[in-house]
Amino acid sequence: MIAIQTADVDIGKMIDGAKRHGAGAIVVFDGIVRDDDIREMELEAYEEVAVPELEKIAAHATKTWHLLSVDIVHRIGRLSIGENILVIVVSAGHREDAYDGSRYIIDTIKKSVPIWKKELTKDGGRWVPGEHQHGCGQ
Amino acid sequence: MTAKIRFFARFRELLGTDIVVDVDGKTSLPDLVKGIAVKNREGYDAIFDEKGAFREFVILMQNGRRIETTEAAAVMVADGDEIAVFPPVAGG
Repeated sequence: MIAIQTADVDIGKMIDGAKRHGAGAIVVFDGIVRDDDIREMELEAYEEVAVPELEKIAAHATKTWHLLSVDIVHRIGRLSIGENILVIVVSAGHREDAYDGSRYIIDTIKKSVPIWKKELTKDGGRWVPGEHQHGCGQ
Repeated sequence: MTAKIRFFARFRELLGTDIVVDVDGKTSLPDLVKGIAVKNREGYDAIFDEKGAFREFVILMQNGRRIETTEAAAVMVADGDEIAVFPPVAGG
């Protein structure tokens, strides 16, 4: 499943779904809202571009690291501290591929998928600067 | 003939989004964006520098395809186009 949605995800179900024939390792990445002296976080996406970009990233990771499954759910909307923002679940025959594939997916999402975060504070809000100044898909 | 401009994140807060504008086939991408951005000084300054060029970090898309800001002047906006303008991404 590749999705951008407001609803939370059931990570347990995602793990169960990743237990494919031949799988020996499942890696879960769960990015959550950090308490950086904020009240909430608001996320928005250019969904028509972001979803195909996530699919492209998943396809590349699958091919490169021989992944057996890739599921990515990125949430948008208003989230509280501790809530899930991004859940990536990958499975592979061996842990090295699962770790490397997962790492590639999160790193690439941060630089190429059009999604933005705004931290809402008691004084207003501030947009989180991108880590990659030219980031976005081609 | 019309095109739609979509601003995201801080640009959306300053300029709005899903703005439908008339185009005549001779409108360049920078001119289209400037035509909207001039209505809000802060929004204009967020996207364009003092010489009227796109700021280096601004990202442009035409129908979902990336357009380099340095090449945008040669890009004409056609009927039905969707132009997206946004700051660097920060997902994950």
